Amino acid sequence: MSELIGILPPELIKDRGSLHPINHMKDSIMNLLVSFGFEIVDGPEIETEQFNFDMLNIKKTHPARQMHDTFYVNNKSNLLRTHTSPVQIRGMLEKKPPLAFISGGKVYRKDDDATHLPMFHQVEGIYVDENISFAQLKDLIYKIIYSLFGEDVKLRFRPSYFPFTEPSAEVDILSKEGKWLEILGCGLVNPIVLENCNIDPNKYSGLAFGLGIERIAMLKHGVTDIREFYKSNLDFLSQFK
Amino acid sequence: MKIAYSHLSQYIEENLTIEQISYSLFQLGHEHEIDDGIFDMEFTPNRGDCLSLNGLLRDLAVFYTVNFNQEIYTEKLEDFHIDFENLSESICPQISFLKLEIENIPEIYKGSLDNYFKDLRLNKNNFFTDVSNYLSYETGQPTHCYDADSIKGRLTFQEVNEDKEFETLLEKKINLSGKNSIFSINNEVINLAGVVGGKSTSCSGKTKTVIVECAFFQPEAIIGKSVKYDIKSDASHKFERGVDPECHDIVLRRFIKLVSEHTNIKTMSIISYNYINNPIHRIPVNVQKINQIIGIDLSDSDYLNYLTKLRFVIEDGFIIVPSFRGDIRTQNDLAEEVARVIGYDNISRLEINIPKNEQPNYKDIENKLRYFLLDHGFYEVINSPFVGHQFKESIKVDNPLDSNREYLRTNIKDSLLDNLLFNEKRQKDSVKLFEISDIYTSNSIHSKKRNISIICSGRMGLNYEDFSKKISVKNLTKLFHDTLPSEDFNFKEINRSQLNTKIKNQIVGCELSLDSFTKEVLNYKSFSKSPDKFILYQSISDLPESKRDLSFSVKDYSKSKLIESYILNFKDKILKKVFVFDYYNNIKEEEIKIGFRFIFQSQNKTITDEEVDLVIKKIIDKTLNYDGISIPGLY
Repeated sequence: MSELIGILPPELIKDRGSLHPINHMKDSIMNLLVSFGFEIVDGPEIETEQFNFDMLNIKKTHPARQMHDTFYVNNKSNLLRTHTSPVQIRGMLEKKPPLAFISGGKVYRKDDDATHLPMFHQVEGIYVDENISFAQLKDLIYKIIYSLFGEDVKLRFRPSYFPFTEPSAEVDILSKEGKWLEILGCGLVNPIVLENCNIDPNKYSGLAFGLGIERIAMLKHGVTDIREFYKSNLDFLSQFK
Repeated sequence: MKIAYSHLSQYIEENLTIEQISYSLFQLGHEHEIDDGIFDMEFTPNRGDCLSLNGLLRDLAVFYTVNFNQEIYTEKLEDFHIDFENLSESICPQISFLKLEIENIPEIYKGSLDNYFKDLRLNKNNFFTDVSNYLSYETGQPTHCYDADSIKGRLTFQEVNEDKEFETLLEKKINLSGKNSIFSINNEVINLAGVVGGKSTSCSGKTKTVIVECAFFQPEAIIGKSVKYDIKSDASHKFERGVDPECHDIVLRRFIKLVSEHTNIKTMSIISYNYINNPIHRIPVNVQKINQIIGIDLSDSDYLNYLTKLRFVIEDGFIIVPSFRGDIRTQNDLAEEVARVIGYDNISRLEINIPKNEQPNYKDIENKLRYFLLDHGFYEVINSPFVGHQFKESIKVDNPLDSNREYLRTNIKDSLLDNLLFNEKRQKDSVKLFEISDIYTSNSIHSKKRNISIICSGRMGLNYEDFSKKISVKNLTKLFHDTLPSEDFNFKEINRSQLNTKIKNQIVGCELSLDSFTKEVLNYKSFSKSPDKFILYQSISDLPESKRDLSFSVKDYSKSKLIESYILNFKDKILKKVFVFDYYNNIKEEEIKIGFRFIFQSQNKTITDEEVDLVIKKIIDKTLNYDGISIPGLY
């Protein structure tokens, strides 16, 4: 009997839950950027055209502003933010340079197919100071991508176009299968945007970048269908712990 | 836009392979795919000037020697007396008309025109339309051909804001509504400007006399029209992105030349209207600024050389922007030009040091709660905010994707309830979920509320302590109070009577504002950690699960750990999960009772009882070989 008293019961395995893989990825990226010196700022998902478009040099006639691309609410007086950039605009209006902000969260675009969802997540960053250059932007992007994918990853910068940055670039990484995959968009803040935020573009310049979280999470976890993230299937979610 | 490699290479002096041109195009920012000698180009929206063979050649000229040897008609042309009025000059500040009468309609095409249709495998239409389409490909300037015999009366251009019917030359009838820029005769719409011409005045295979319209339309007047009326139009794609307002004379003279290469022209005349002069854009030469923007050390001569090759003119310390580059207005724009030519990948990194930020993490309470819930077996979910049902405070989406997504949710709980029922249907006997999200209502459209919602049903946990306990308001309240006594989660039962489910387990949930939590939450010490590496996901099976339980009696205590280790480490391709659901050490009877639950599921087929029995038999045969171990009730 005394021997039975000494027997340990089986290990009590308490079932731990898991963070959603998109939130986990978002947190990982934001923590990385905070370690670089960025400050987290937060803002509303229901925005005005002024902050979502006008302040960012997106013209009234830009296709992104049309009803087939952007969700409008409240009889078109508001919209669901199409990117997290308006948060940075609000931040720039409140603070004086030097400033380094990141914002992350849900954004909305009027898409719904196998590769696009009407709601997805972004992390965007902006750094405004004196004499910020494209070469420094490249350094930052290399640091971000090396942290996410390892220093062996090959990346390339391609000229692109965003109304709020000039010069603008898109960055691809080379997959194991030898395909270039778009990872993020970036550029130097368009001086018009700085001016809109009462920042003297002759004295200050800035860099900005934005990453789509789902895209990176799909690559890191090997998920091939973006819709899996939002089925709330316990068989799926329980894998990420 | 598709552009043939052979069409580009014939104007480039160097003998370049398709790969060399492809590499240069990528460096310049012109994404493309190559299919059988054809570049399928995708241009950024600011580069409307590249939407043509010549546009691409202009950019490639920065690297290579390009000979633009396309001939134009150079003789003086007679004035074309057309009855035309422009009532919206600000929308169409430049417009030209060319009238041509030909002797015969050519049946066989030659030279560039022939190559265009053959190499790009395009269908021909009629001679004048074919020339017009080719010219748009070559020069980037769309032109529209009217059958001259159908133009009877005054031709009027204007922006109207009234409903009108219009039949396109593609024989599609559309109802124009809102603001539209149109050409009309006698109040009949004959052309939706910059998008598509009308059937009544279009050219046919019999047309011998044509009026060619060549215009500049403000992009703002054209944007969105092709989408609105569901018309695929090369012309609108170009006008939306901006065309060269100063190309009309050359384009129309090239039109004449192409026609004259195919047939005799009997008469020709031209008229150009220039209502508003195009401003000349000058930017000061400032290489220091360019170097500062890019972070390089470029010499003055290299800088100006690049710009000259891109057709910028340097004059009196200023850079004069060519008329086709509507996207260049600032030093930053010029810096991008230089960076493209150097190659973004050839610009060296310059170390960046952002001053360290000492701000506290403002989401501390939220994060503590997340890890508290993880510790208790809850899974975080994210749901779409779009719902089909309206509540009193719902915000309506003006342009929803469909009627099931017409409103923004006013709570998280309803989404979680759907998630819970979904997982219950997938045979999950312990479902524990939470979500943290912003919530918006019509009362607080400008001030978000951040809520946490929790929902659960079934067993408290999948281990021998919790397996027999069912989730209930009482159990959950006690559990949460024991570990986070400062907070009141206010759990409530959710009535199943209105739900589409036969399961009877109590559903327990709550929804609280994050503001309602106290700072005591920050004292909670979590033992869950976020994964330190990213887990590679295994695809999920949608096939049904099968469950089996085995309960052992262990009389020889020394075998207790042996059986536990064997079963918990047992592997089989259809065995998805195994855990100890029951354990009892009966000291008085000198017996240990231990129960294991096995969950089976296949990735590719519905598993049969026989397949499961085989695996179970393997386990039984092995375990019963140990002395002092039995399975009570097993025959």
